Amino acid sequence: MKLPHVDYEAPRTVTEAVELLAEHEDEASVLAGGQSLIPLLALRLAHPAVLIDINGVTELSGVSATNGTVTIGAMTREYVAEESGTVADAVPLLAAALPLIGHEAIRNRGTIGGSLAHADPAAELPAVARALDAEFVVRGRAGERVIPAAKWFEGYLTTSRAPDELLVEVRFPAAGRGTGSSFDEVARRHGDFAIVGLATSLTLSGGAISDARLAFAGVSDVPVRATEAEDLLVGERPSAELFDEAARRATSDIDPPADLHGSADYRRKVAAALVRRGLRAAADSADERQ
Amino acid sequence: MVDIALTVNGTARTGSPEARKTLADFLRDDLNMTGTHLGCEHGVCGACTVIVDGRAVRSCLMLAVQAAGSEVTTIEGLAPDGGLGTLQQAMWDSHSFQCGFCTPGMVMQATAFLSDHPGASEQQIREALSGNICRCTGYQSIVDGVLLAVERSASPDPAAPHSASPDPTTPPNRER
Amino acid sequence: MAAIAAERYTGASVKRSEDPRILTGAGRYVDDIKLPGMLHAAFVRSPMAHARVVSVDVSAARALPGVVAVFTGAELEEITVPGPDALMALIGLDGPTPEFTLLATDKVRFAGDPVAIVIAESRYLAEDGCELVEVEYDDLPPVTNASFALDPSSPPLFANLGDNIASPHSRSESGDVAATFAEADRVFDFRIDVHRHQNVPMEGRGCVASYDADRDFMTVHAATQSVHVSKIAVAMRLGMEQDKVRVVAGDIGGSFGLKIGASREELAAAAASRALRRPVKWVEDRGENLTASGQAREESFDVRAAVSNDGDLLGLDVKMVIDTGSYPGLGVTVPETVEAMLPGPYKLAALGFESTAAITNKATYVAYRGPWASETFVRERILDLIAKDLGLDPLEIRLRNVAPRTDPPAVMITGRPLVGVTSRESLQRIAELVDIPAFRRRQAEARAQGHYLGIGMATFIEAAPGPREPGGPSGPLGTESMRLRLEEDGIVALFTGQMPHGQSHQTTLAQIAADEFGVPFEQVRVVVGDTDVVPFGLTGGSRSATMTGGVTLHGARKLKAKVLDFASHLMEASVRDLEIVDGRVGVRGDPASAIAVGEVARRAASGQFGPDVDANLEVEAAFDGGEGGWSGGTHCAIVEVDVETGLVSVERYVVAEDCGALINPAVVDGQIRGGVAQGIGAVLLERTAYDEDGNCQSATFMDYLVPTACDVPRIEIEHLQTVPLDADVNFRGVGEGGMIVAPPTMVNAIEDALSPFGVRIYEQHLPPARILELIAAADPGQ
Repeated sequence: MKLPHVDYEAPRTVTEAVELLAEHEDEASVLAGGQSLIPLLALRLAHPAVLIDINGVTELSGVSATNGTVTIGAMTREYVAEESGTVADAVPLLAAALPLIGHEAIRNRGTIGGSLAHADPAAELPAVARALDAEFVVRGRAGERVIPAAKWFEGYLTTSRAPDELLVEVRFPAAGRGTGSSFDEVARRHGDFAIVGLATSLTLSGGAISDARLAFAGVSDVPVRATEAEDLLVGERPSAELFDEAARRATSDIDPPADLHGSADYRRKVAAALVRRGLRAAADSADERQ
Repeated sequence: MVDIALTVNGTARTGSPEARKTLADFLRDDLNMTGTHLGCEHGVCGACTVIVDGRAVRSCLMLAVQAAGSEVTTIEGLAPDGGLGTLQQAMWDSHSFQCGFCTPGMVMQATAFLSDHPGASEQQIREALSGNICRCTGYQSIVDGVLLAVERSASPDPAAPHSASPDPTTPPNRER
Repeated sequence: MAAIAAERYTGASVKRSEDPRILTGAGRYVDDIKLPGMLHAAFVRSPMAHARVVSVDVSAARALPGVVAVFTGAELEEITVPGPDALMALIGLDGPTPEFTLLATDKVRFAGDPVAIVIAESRYLAEDGCELVEVEYDDLPPVTNASFALDPSSPPLFANLGDNIASPHSRSESGDVAATFAEADRVFDFRIDVHRHQNVPMEGRGCVASYDADRDFMTVHAATQSVHVSKIAVAMRLGMEQDKVRVVAGDIGGSFGLKIGASREELAAAAASRALRRPVKWVEDRGENLTASGQAREESFDVRAAVSNDGDLLGLDVKMVIDTGSYPGLGVTVPETVEAMLPGPYKLAALGFESTAAITNKATYVAYRGPWASETFVRERILDLIAKDLGLDPLEIRLRNVAPRTDPPAVMITGRPLVGVTSRESLQRIAELVDIPAFRRRQAEARAQGHYLGIGMATFIEAAPGPREPGGPSGPLGTESMRLRLEEDGIVALFTGQMPHGQSHQTTLAQIAADEFGVPFEQVRVVVGDTDVVPFGLTGGSRSATMTGGVTLHGARKLKAKVLDFASHLMEASVRDLEIVDGRVGVRGDPASAIAVGEVARRAASGQFGPDVDANLEVEAAFDGGEGGWSGGTHCAIVEVDVETGLVSVERYVVAEDCGALINPAVVDGQIRGGVAQGIGAVLLERTAYDEDGNCQSATFMDYLVPTACDVPRIEIEHLQTVPLDADVNFRGVGEGGMIVAPPTMVNAIEDALSPFGVRIYEQHLPPARILELIAAADPGQ
C-alpha cells in the first residue's frame, strides 16, 4: 500500500503556497497534517501530481482571541487546540469535540484547517464549524476572502475553496455567558469516525433558551444544521418533552446514508437519541456557565 | 529525491528519500531500523508508532521528508546500551506480548502517554492504547505492564527485579 | 544452588525468553529480511468477482524503469508444475478437485484474484508497475452466496467441476435419529447463521524466496505455521526435489490458522525468484490480507432438536451449508469436524448430520482458530432458546444435559470418549464465581430504570489433542517428534517442528526440558524454523501443550539417561548414583564430584572413548500423546446493551476452564484472553462483507473492525483441577478454546439483556444497527 509518485513542494510562506496552487490548481493536493490525505494516497484513491506541503508555513499556526472571536491558524495541530486554555474557555464546543477526533497520535499531526478543508461529513470539526457559524478565511491569487460555514461545505469532501486558494485561518465566535455545549457521537469503537455525531450549543438567559445550535455529522454528505429543531427551542425553557420534540423535528427530514456500519433508519434513530442527550448535556453545562 | 537530515535515537542521520516515501519506510528501508512495523499502512493499527519531537506519531502517515530537522525516537532507541527501560521491563514481567508484531507501536505509544500522564489509571491507559491494535493478547497483559510501570516509576524499589540487559545466556533465535 | 535446582519451572509463569528481542525492536519478521540483490513483488489483482480474462497487456509495466520483470498467469504456468494446492493434496480428499492455475489465466474467481506478478527494485515501483498493467475482463454473473451456488443454474467457477459444490453432499447418522425424534415431547426447528469473518494477524502473509542458481537451491524465508509443510508446497509447485528446498522462519506476527502451506502468491514469488535468479520478497499489505488471504466461518445450519418437556436434549438433526469461497481450501474439511464435535459434553443420544460445501466468488475459506467453532455456537445458542421456551434456567438446562463423569467415561454419540471432561465442574464453578441470583435482582432494578443488562454462559470442549485413540496417536497430525542434544557449551538444544507465532514455545518447552534434564532454564535452547534442522511438525490444532510438551518431557528424560550413561563411564560411577542438578552431573551426596554438563559434552566429543561407549549425546524422541485428553470449560459474560444506540459493553467476563496441568500460567491465560477477544470481535465488530456484485466492502481497517483495548474487558480466569489422565503428560492445549466459546457466551448474554423485548437471536454478528433491528422486529409477548 505504497504511495504513488508525486512531485513535492514545500513553500515557506502563504504567498509561495498560493502561487503554487495557482500554478497547479486541481493537480495539487495540500499536505497539512496528512492524517486524511496520506491514507488516500496509500490506498491509491488519489493521484495528485503535486503535493504542496504547508507544514513549513509557520505563519499559519496559532490560537488567538480578540473581541469575541477566536482565530485559529489553519496549521494549528489538533492537540495544540485541545491543550489551549483559550479554546477551552472561549470555544467550549470545539474543546468538547477535539478529544473525540481519532486517537492522540492522529491529533499530534492533524490540523484544524486540514480537517475542515478535507470536509469529511462524518468528522467532528465540520459539525462544530457549522454549528457555530465559523468563518473560513482563504487567500488566493485575487487576495483574501471570508467564507461563512454555511457556504464552505458544498458536498462530500468538497468545499467552496477555489483551486488557487489556501485556507489560512478559521474564526470561531467566543461563547457568551450562559452558553453550554456538548459534542455527542455514536461510534463503533473509541476513536472511530462517528456513525452519527452531534454538535450542540445552547445559550440560556433567564432560564429560557436564547440561542440553540444543532449540527449533525454523518447524516448527509455535509454537516447539517437542524434549523427546525433550533427554531423550536429558542424562547422555551429546557424540558425532557421539549427535547423529545426537538429530536423529532431534527430527524424528520434527514436522509442519512446507509453503509456497513448502519442503515439510514439506524442513523435516524441514533440521531434522535443524540439530540436528546446533547440537549440535556448542553443545558446542564449552560447552567454551570451562568 | 529530497535530501533530509534528522536525528534518530540521538544520532544524526541523513538520507535522500523520494517525497512519497513514508517515514516508516524510510526508517525500515533506508536506515535499516526494522523495529518499527507496518500493520496496515493507513493509519489505523498503530504498529508503526514512533515519537517525533516528543509526540507519538503514526510513521505510516508521515512522509520522511516531513521529518527533516526533527528528533525521532524509535523502539530501538528507547533504552540505550541494549538494556530495558522501566516500561519494557514491566512489560516483560507482565507477560504483555505474544507474537510481538504490535509491540513496538504499543511500547512507543505507551511511552509517549506515560511521559505526559505518569499516574494514569487503567481506564486512561486503555483509552490511550485504543488506537493500537493487538490480535493476540486481548490487551489485559499489556495494560498490566503499563500499570506496573506506573507503579514502579512512582516508587522505584531498589529490590525490584530489573535486568540491566537482556539475559545474555539466551541466544537469539536466528536462522543459521 | 540447591534452592535453584529444587525450584520447578513447569507450572510457573517464567518470563519469556522471546521478550528481550520483542521489546527492543530486535525481532526478525519476514519483512525485516534484506538479502543482497533482493527484488520486490506486487500483484495485479482482479477488481471483478467473476469474469473471463480476455487479455493481459503488461508491456507498459515492463517498460517502467525499476520494473525488472512481469509474469502473467500464463507465463507462470510455463515455469511451475500445475497441480492442486499442496495442503489439500496432503490432506487427501475424495472427489474431483477444482482445476486452476497458480495465478489466474482464463478467468478470475474473486475480487482480488491475482492475475500477474510485477517484480521491481522496490515495493513502491512494483505497485507503480501494477497500475500500468491493462487487463480486459468479460463479466460473468457473480455467485455471491451459498444458496445461489447450490442452484444448478449458477455459472460454475471451475469448468472441470460443472457446478459450485466443493464436496459431495453427505449425510450420516449416529444413534437412532428417527426413533429419538418420534418419541420426543417437543421438536424445535431453528435456523442459525454464522457470518464470514477472518484471522487478521497483525503481520500478513509474506516470504522472501531466494534461488541460488549455482546450486539449484531454493531458500524461502517464510511466515508459516510449519516450515516443513511450506517446503513441501514450494517443492511440489516448483518441481524441485525436497532436498533442494529449505524453508526458514524467524519471528512470525501471528497467524491463527492463516499461514499454513504456501499461498498462490508466495509460490509465484518463489517461481519468479528462480526465473530471475535473485531473491524476491512479497509481503502482503492489509488490503490484500483482508480481501485475498482467506476468510472463514460463513456457515448456516438448519437444526431440528428433539427435546423432552424437562429439557433433555435428546437428539439433533442438522443440515449445514458452508460457503467455502473460490479456490480450494480447508473449508471442505470443516463439516466433518463440526459433526464430530456437535454433541459436546452432553448426553445427546442421536445425531443426524448432512452438509454441503458451496463454491462462491469470495476469497478462500481458510482455517481460523477453532475452524469447527460453529458447533459450539449452534449447540450453546439452541440450548438457551430451548431453555427460554420451556421456562428453564440456562445453567440448569446445561447441568441437566452434561454427561456425568463416569468410569469408563461416557462416549459422545459420534464416537469419542469424554474421558476427564470437567464440564459439570466448570458450570458449577461459574455459579460460584458469579452470583447469578444477585445479578438477576440487579438486572430487574436496572430494567426499571431503562437499562438493559444481560448474562450469558456457554460450555465447550475441545480436542486438545483429544482422548487416546485405540492403536493410534491422540489427535490429528500424528505423533510429535523432537531431536534433543547436549551441546558442548552446556546448552540442551531442542529441535522441534513447532513454529511458534505467539505461543511462547521458546519459553514453555524450555521450562519442561530444564526440569526434566536438570539444567537452569537459561541453559535450554529451543530451535525452530529451519527445515534443514528440525523434524516435521506444525503448530496448530491446540496440540503443542500435550504433543510437544510430552515429547519434550520424555525426550529430556531420554537424553538425560544417555548423558548419565556416558557420564557413568566418564566418572566411573554407577548410573544409579548419578544425578544432574543445576546443570552439573555428580554423584548424589558428593557435591565435589560434580562436573558441568558442558564439560561432559566436550569430553564426549573428544573421541577418547572407544566404540563400546555411546558418546553421541543426542536423542530422537517421539510422542503419541499419551492419554491425551480434552480441554474445555464454561465462559460467562455480563453485558449492558444501550437500546437507543445498539452499543454493547461487556461489564464482566469470567472463565472457568480446564486444560489440565499448566506449563506456564501467564502463557495459558494470554492464549485464552486473546481468543475471547476475537470472539467478542466476531459478535460486536468483525464482518467480512461482500456486496451483491462480489466486491469486498471490508477492505481496510476502517471497515473491518477488530477489538481494541476499550472493547475487551478484564477477563477473570480460573483453572480447574483436572483429573490427571497420564502419568506424566497432563498439559492440554488452550489455543483455540477462547475463540470457540466466546461468541455464544456473548450472544447468550445479549439475548438475555433484550429478553424484555422478546428478542430471539439466530445469528452471530450483532453490530449496533442489527440490535436495533432485532428490538424493532421482536414481539415482547414472547
